[in-house]
Amino acid sequence: MTTIKSAGRRSASVRLGRRPALVVIVVLLLFVALLSLRIGSADVSNGDALDALFSFDDSSYDQVVVRSLRVPRTLIGLGVGAALAVAGAAMQAVTRNPLAGPSIFGINGGAAFLLTLAVFVGNLTHPMQFIWFAFIGGFGAAALVYAVASAGAGGPSPVKLALAGVIVSSLLGSWMTAMLLLDEQAFEVVRFWLAGSLAGRDVEVFWWVMPFMIVGVVGIALMSNQLNILALGEDTARALGMRIRLVRFTITFLVVLMTGAAVAAAGPIGFVGLAVPHIVRVVTGPDYRWIVLYCVLVGPLLLLTADVAGRVVARPSELQVGIVTALTGAPFLIFLARQRRIAEL
Amino acid sequence: MTASARQVELMSAPRLRVLRFGGVAFVINLRTLSLILVTFVLLVAAACLAMMLGSFRLTVGEVVGSVLGTGNGEADFVIWRLRFPRTLTVAMLGGALAMSGAIFQGAVRNPLVSPDIIGINAGATLAAVFWILTDMPQGAIPLLAFVGAMSVASLVYLLSWKGHISGGRLILIGIGINALLGAGVTFLFVRYPVQQTRSALAWTVGTANNSDWADVRLLAYSLAILIPLAVALMWSLRVMQLGDTTARSVGLPIERTRLLLIAVGSTLSAFAIAVAGPIGFVALTAPHIARMIAGPMTSGVFIFTLLVGALFLMLSDIVAQHALPVSLPVGVVTAAIGAPYFLFLLYRVNARV
Amino acid sequence: MTTSPQLRASNVTISYNGALDIVSDLDFDVPQGQITSIIGPNGCGKSTLLRAMSRLMKPRLGSVLLDGQAIHQHSTREVAKMLGMLSQQLELPEMVTVEDLVRRGRYPHRSMWQPPGHDDQVAVDRAMLLAGVTDLRSRSVDELSGGQRQRAWIAMVLAQDTPMLLLDEPTTYLDIAHSREVLELAKRLNREDEKTVVMVLHDLNDAVRYSDHIVVMKDGEIVERGGPQEIANAELIRNVFGVECDIVKDANGWFCIPRSKNASIRNTTGGESDAVASESLTVGYGRVPVLKSVSVTFPDGKLSAVVGPNACGKSTLVKTIARLLKSSEGSTSVHGRPIFEGSHRDFAQRVGLLSQGAAIPTDIRVQELVMSGRFPYQRWYRQWSNEDQGEVDKALQSTHTEEFRWRSVATLSGGQRQRAWLAMALAQQTPVLMLDEPTTFLDIGHQIELLDLVSEMNCRSGLTAVMVLHDLSLACRYADYMVAMKDGRVAAAGAPEQIVSESMVREVFGVDCSVVTDEQTGRPLILPLGTANSLQARPADDASSTGAARNGSVNRTLKEPVG
Repeated sequence: MTTIKSAGRRSASVRLGRRPALVVIVVLLLFVALLSLRIGSADVSNGDALDALFSFDDSSYDQVVVRSLRVPRTLIGLGVGAALAVAGAAMQAVTRNPLAGPSIFGINGGAAFLLTLAVFVGNLTHPMQFIWFAFIGGFGAAALVYAVASAGAGGPSPVKLALAGVIVSSLLGSWMTAMLLLDEQAFEVVRFWLAGSLAGRDVEVFWWVMPFMIVGVVGIALMSNQLNILALGEDTARALGMRIRLVRFTITFLVVLMTGAAVAAAGPIGFVGLAVPHIVRVVTGPDYRWIVLYCVLVGPLLLLTADVAGRVVARPSELQVGIVTALTGAPFLIFLARQRRIAEL
Repeated sequence: MTASARQVELMSAPRLRVLRFGGVAFVINLRTLSLILVTFVLLVAAACLAMMLGSFRLTVGEVVGSVLGTGNGEADFVIWRLRFPRTLTVAMLGGALAMSGAIFQGAVRNPLVSPDIIGINAGATLAAVFWILTDMPQGAIPLLAFVGAMSVASLVYLLSWKGHISGGRLILIGIGINALLGAGVTFLFVRYPVQQTRSALAWTVGTANNSDWADVRLLAYSLAILIPLAVALMWSLRVMQLGDTTARSVGLPIERTRLLLIAVGSTLSAFAIAVAGPIGFVALTAPHIARMIAGPMTSGVFIFTLLVGALFLMLSDIVAQHALPVSLPVGVVTAAIGAPYFLFLLYRVNARV
Repeated sequence: MTTSPQLRASNVTISYNGALDIVSDLDFDVPQGQITSIIGPNGCGKSTLLRAMSRLMKPRLGSVLLDGQAIHQHSTREVAKMLGMLSQQLELPEMVTVEDLVRRGRYPHRSMWQPPGHDDQVAVDRAMLLAGVTDLRSRSVDELSGGQRQRAWIAMVLAQDTPMLLLDEPTTYLDIAHSREVLELAKRLNREDEKTVVMVLHDLNDAVRYSDHIVVMKDGEIVERGGPQEIANAELIRNVFGVECDIVKDANGWFCIPRSKNASIRNTTGGESDAVASESLTVGYGRVPVLKSVSVTFPDGKLSAVVGPNACGKSTLVKTIARLLKSSEGSTSVHGRPIFEGSHRDFAQRVGLLSQGAAIPTDIRVQELVMSGRFPYQRWYRQWSNEDQGEVDKALQSTHTEEFRWRSVATLSGGQRQRAWLAMALAQQTPVLMLDEPTTFLDIGHQIELLDLVSEMNCRSGLTAVMVLHDLSLACRYADYMVAMKDGRVAAAGAPEQIVSESMVREVFGVDCSVVTDEQTGRPLILPLGTANSLQARPADDASSTGAARNGSVNRTLKEPVG
């Protein structure tokens, strides 16, 4: 492939790097996953970590720790990272707004609200009981946002979606705070969930949420060509024969499915959905087929790294992964805002 | 309003009058003026209601008499010690927040901005929560919240500066800072035992429950300076809405004006936070409601916005105090009242367009 | 190649949101195998018609028929395999390469499960070859010049492999050379690849030179249709565009020269001194300089024009003089005073600017907009004086915007809106007014109207005006002084009679033309060369044009009341 003059430099360099970079990322991801099995309040050797996976010996304390605590945690981290990153990429394509993330639909707010309500009324305490309330709450909030935004002619425009999402989130947030103020016990239970964490989940949690995440990720991957066309603008997409409303609705549905599952499993984790697609684009360029593929790998990589870092910095206790991602993701967003010419909201 | 009625309204001439005293002249829109008067009357009525309700009920006559200084001892005590300062505080808080929202929305030309979205509230919250959790003397909290809010505002402004301020960049950076500080607050909440975090959590939703005459004085002094400044700036803001290029070609020093606007807007919301903690939603919603009723932002509409904000917060406070058996902080209620109305507006705008 | 589908609009009425009808009860048959242009004044409904015909919007009444069946009953993909539509507002994320863009045009031919195959690549290569962008395939679209970019987009539409192309104002932002590039491409596609092409065009002369069939619209109706020769009549143009014109016929076909309404008024005063003088200006966005050491002066009390191809730096020059951009080197003075002397307010009393594509806030009324022009004379405590009122009234009067002074700016048509902005600039009462591409979105009638207004102000009150203009002929006619720019440098400056020549146009714009003197005004006239006579070259034309005529007559009979 020949490049014309120097002007082709950016895109040319992008093209050369995509495949090798993929290998590097896979290797890194495996490495971080191994670290995630090893590191914690009690460190485990490489051998024990691997044995726990492949030749499990239930008399070894270390291997039991790995098997019962760290394997589920790592698996959930992988799933949540991939789901959030892919959902973020899809939302940015659908809304054609670089700031959109999966949280735009008020999913986090809805999940937190219903969960708090359940704790407030029903005194739940265990994460396993949380996931369904969180999932249904997230889904309900998203449906409300979508319904309000799509009222009237023209369907749900990105701006209307964003506006409705902000409003619903803050409404549910205020009700949640009211409940937490009235019930100290509920606050005690919920505050750790609100920080967003992978800790203390059974492997069962993973099996519950995994089908949703797989459907979402595979669905978006199959629709990546549609995402490419949507990026050309509404008129062009329609002129090319795309049924815009149907495509938008399908993608939105998949995003809500994935994000709802992720929130149910790990609580609200910010910035992964927003930042990963931007980081990925530096290597892949604007083609969504590559962006989605990369997001599936880079999302878990970042989330697990943040989780491991949270375990390391605050030993012997740990820092919730949601706090770590926010503390690292926010400066990244600021950097991004200063670097690029970003379209107005 | 039907589509055709709206059309007619746009076509017809607004009732503009020019008020002159020698070298001083103001353009006055009679429609806006009447809206201002009506809202003011409503605000006074709401204030009366707020002072009547409570465990010790009063009649309208007692309230009015007491305020005017002709009341009896018992009512005087309730009114002057408790309810009057609180009512005044709430009104001024609402006004300050609404003005701050209107100023930010105009300065960055984006209707979705408010001081809570770009991290100003979060800055105050982090400072205050840290202070509360580390068991420092409570008296310093307002000052600390003020300093927190102002330093975040300056930080956002400085980080957004790149030769000039772009609205999009400022919002992005504000959202980033907001998330960063929010994570800090969450971190503090999970680090400390729940008994301690409870009072901190209570601070994070704004409340006017403990307001006294000191709060009233603080707000009154600051508003006495800031309102005229803001109203004067509105004359420039009106031109700024035509876009940066046009504004500069008619001689508006745009960056200086924007800096002034952001400074005034931040100070307004910082005073409000210092007095009552972060009350959400008023700053975002009140300007929208005002614009939908009175049209694009001008000095007149700005004063209308102020009154709308005051009325909104006053009603929210009445609901927060008296609607439920337990008294809630007003910050919880603003969203609960404002959000459905806002969603309704959104729905109606959708249906019409 | 499949045969061209039959596309027709039958009794179509279109309106937005139930408001006024944009297109009313219109019949239109697309002549197969030809290039058809739709022309008409701003707001006549030409783009709306094209959007309805490409299934982008639904008519309120009547229907668009594709191969005899209502277009909305076809599946979207079926339509996209038959019609390729290039819309007006194109958006693209950064860093998409040309080939990547063109590949996306294969969308209708692939299902969700199907990876791109060999035939897709063949179609993509062919589309790039046809559009002449093969060499640019791995370049990012946002780095291309205007003409190249438009060709890349056309290649994207070509990859759709449709027998019919619908192009909505494909030349709006382009200079002469680039728009010629795009129109030649459209023609080549028609002649060599037998595509049926329907274009909405802005420029009358382009339409005449590049199409086989022209449809003239006004107020949502078709007022005339036929071959280029039939449209060449001054009376029709007067009726449709509201402008007098002369028709010049030469070996290449014909050419329409619009006449201003007040051609007799000529400014004879002024010009003794320089109003604006810039000395070796260097200005850049980022590191790349857009203006490279430009020294230029504009005479006092005269109309000056700045012309040049896209991206030559003409808008940057005007913005720099209007103090919107800072030059890294050099200085500018207005009437002898450096521009950076004094406050913004003070400067705004000296130089006004009518900027390009200004944002319009919702719900602002015309008078409020014009009132903003008085900002430099006001203080927040002295918001309105009698003088302000007088100047606003005068500005509204002289721009003929009084009748809609209380209407919201957003509801105005393009020509009205531009006049409202001009009124705002005039209310500013500056001795010098800079106008940055004031005519870009206007039809020929409104262009003349606006330029007449400016020249009237120039004659009456000695206003010094500096305009960036797109159209070289208009610039020659109205300007007393002309600056031609290329690549950030001044290529020529002087009175139009002195500097405009065939070689200058070739050098600056990169197009061949013949320059003759307009007897009526004494100014040079630029007539395009070549291409026009090849119109009659194709033998198949006869057959299809009779077909078109037949279709036309069918339509006419259809239009007659049945009862």
